[in-house]
Amino acid sequence: MALANTQSASAPGAAVPAGRGRAYALSGVAMLLALAAPRLVDDYYLHAIITSLMFLPAAHGLNLMVGYTGMLTLAQGAFFGIGSYVSALLAMHFGTPFWINFLAAGVVTGLIALPLGVPALRLRTYSFVMCTLGFVVIGEAVAKNWISLTRGDMGLSGIPTPDLGFGVKVTGIVGFYYLYLFLAVVMTALFYAIIASPAGRNMIAIRDNETQAEALGIDTWWYKLIVFTLSAAFAGFGGSMFAHYLTTISPLTFQMYYSTTILIIVLGGGAGSIRGVVVGSLLFVAVSEALRIAPELRMVIYGLVLLLLVFWFPKGLTPLVDRVLGIAGGR
Amino acid sequence: MIELIFEQIINGIVAGSVYALVAAGMTMIFGVLRAINFAHGEYYMLGTFAAWYVMAKLGVSYPVSIVLGILITMALAYVIGRLVMQHLVTAPFQSGVLATLGLSLVLQNAIILAFGGTYKIFPGGWLNPVFLGDIALAWQRIIIVLVTIGAFLALDLVVRRTRLGKQIRAVSQNVEACAVNGIDVERVVLATFVLGSGLAALSGVLTGPINVSIYGGMGEAVTMKTFAVIVMGGMGNVRGTLLAGWLLGIAESFVAGFIGLQYRDAVGFVILIAMLMVRPHGLFSVKSRF
Repeated sequence: MALANTQSASAPGAAVPAGRGRAYALSGVAMLLALAAPRLVDDYYLHAIITSLMFLPAAHGLNLMVGYTGMLTLAQGAFFGIGSYVSALLAMHFGTPFWINFLAAGVVTGLIALPLGVPALRLRTYSFVMCTLGFVVIGEAVAKNWISLTRGDMGLSGIPTPDLGFGVKVTGIVGFYYLYLFLAVVMTALFYAIIASPAGRNMIAIRDNETQAEALGIDTWWYKLIVFTLSAAFAGFGGSMFAHYLTTISPLTFQMYYSTTILIIVLGGGAGSIRGVVVGSLLFVAVSEALRIAPELRMVIYGLVLLLLVFWFPKGLTPLVDRVLGIAGGR
Repeated sequence: MIELIFEQIINGIVAGSVYALVAAGMTMIFGVLRAINFAHGEYYMLGTFAAWYVMAKLGVSYPVSIVLGILITMALAYVIGRLVMQHLVTAPFQSGVLATLGLSLVLQNAIILAFGGTYKIFPGGWLNPVFLGDIALAWQRIIIVLVTIGAFLALDLVVRRTRLGKQIRAVSQNVEACAVNGIDVERVVLATFVLGSGLAALSGVLTGPINVSIYGGMGEAVTMKTFAVIVMGGMGNVRGTLLAGWLLGIAESFVAGFIGLQYRDAVGFVILIAMLMVRPHGLFSVKSRF
């Protein structure tokens, strides 16, 4: 299948769809813009873009759940918070370099999610959504009350900025930008590797028809558990980026705000599409941050966007963006 | 010790009555719409705010503000019902979750934008204490429990005896069959939604005086506790809801009194998750609803 595609694309004289060519050109331009961003925009806008990069891994995780396996979850905020605490505590207590904190945040969050997924995934539809919301509330209660570890409502402050080892410490905003851009690209590549693998196709089969997937011999229960764990790990990686950039975290990290923002990025951008999630994070986080919209007004807009999506754009805004850019038909 | 336990039970029943009134609407809406209303606590908040507004800004008395608070909330619910809830009848479950989550964000933050994010003092209420043995209890708390019992009796009559109640039960059982038999499903959904929102507003207006301070985000915590109540009561089961509300209230007040106040808000979710795992059809019904 993949082979056939490559052949037809490289065969001499085969017409490359005009939209496809324009899409490649646009993504090249986007890459150049991303690399040159610190020279093009001032520090405040750079901060806005960094904020959206921090949300990207968690959004990929949610996309894996909603867009590729067909499970709606609100627990991403909880795993985002857990990852931020894991990373911050490691850095503060053991002074470990950033790479270790970052990896540990994802791995530990995944390991916490695994046993939670075992009972939760027995539930379906509403019950599963309510249960995942429960994880957020319980996560917040733990962060508030395990005072010896998390310092309760005071939160953790003075989290060291990323220490890359070999005496390289990231402090300035441009350094943060390139580090986080690199991590976001790595996370996106990892996400792509997952969904492009045979396992990814099995996930899509589960999304489209779980009973039939089961009948075809796909161990749906196993797949759902692995997807749940992976999505939590993605959120944990994002939480690590969040903690080291803001240098201060508190139980407020478990507020519904984060779960909602991640949900808006994925559904607004277009669940089931990598590009959709990248566009969604820029559109809903970077733009609203850059426009300095008051947090309450932003939430009102998020709410209205959710309503619009449900009734008018069930596939997210990406098809609209595609049409505007003239790359409809590209994938 | 006995007195302390007795006091916790009474506190629990007062708090539980508040949850039960909100949950009654949510469980009925679930019945007719098969959708969890993530915005339901916001109508509790709107009721409180509407009553606060007419008292603090227009100077009406507390009893009048109760009526106005409920009517204003029901009017808003009518508009929201027409614009949003009616369209969820044939929609998949995700649409219900996302649309009501969106509504919750809009309502909550619109109120904060309109009235500011600061806590407001609720001016009315009957706070003189009554003594039950050695336990002092504000009149307002007794009224909450009595009104709740009255409201549930009335609701039971509506659901069992009236034409609307019959339609609500019919739609809860089978939407397609109702449509085939000429029941206007969208009208029933709208009526249920407005009625349920009115009950949530009643709960909010009554609790205003004992909450003392009110703010735009107060509905979210109530929504979350209501989840535990409707699952315990059995989704769609109005009678079970009252008992479930009291059970949650009592469990919370025991945890707050004997373990620590800070753990109170997690009780509901621990119960919710345990219920979903063990008895997803509720404490009181035999039939599985999922």
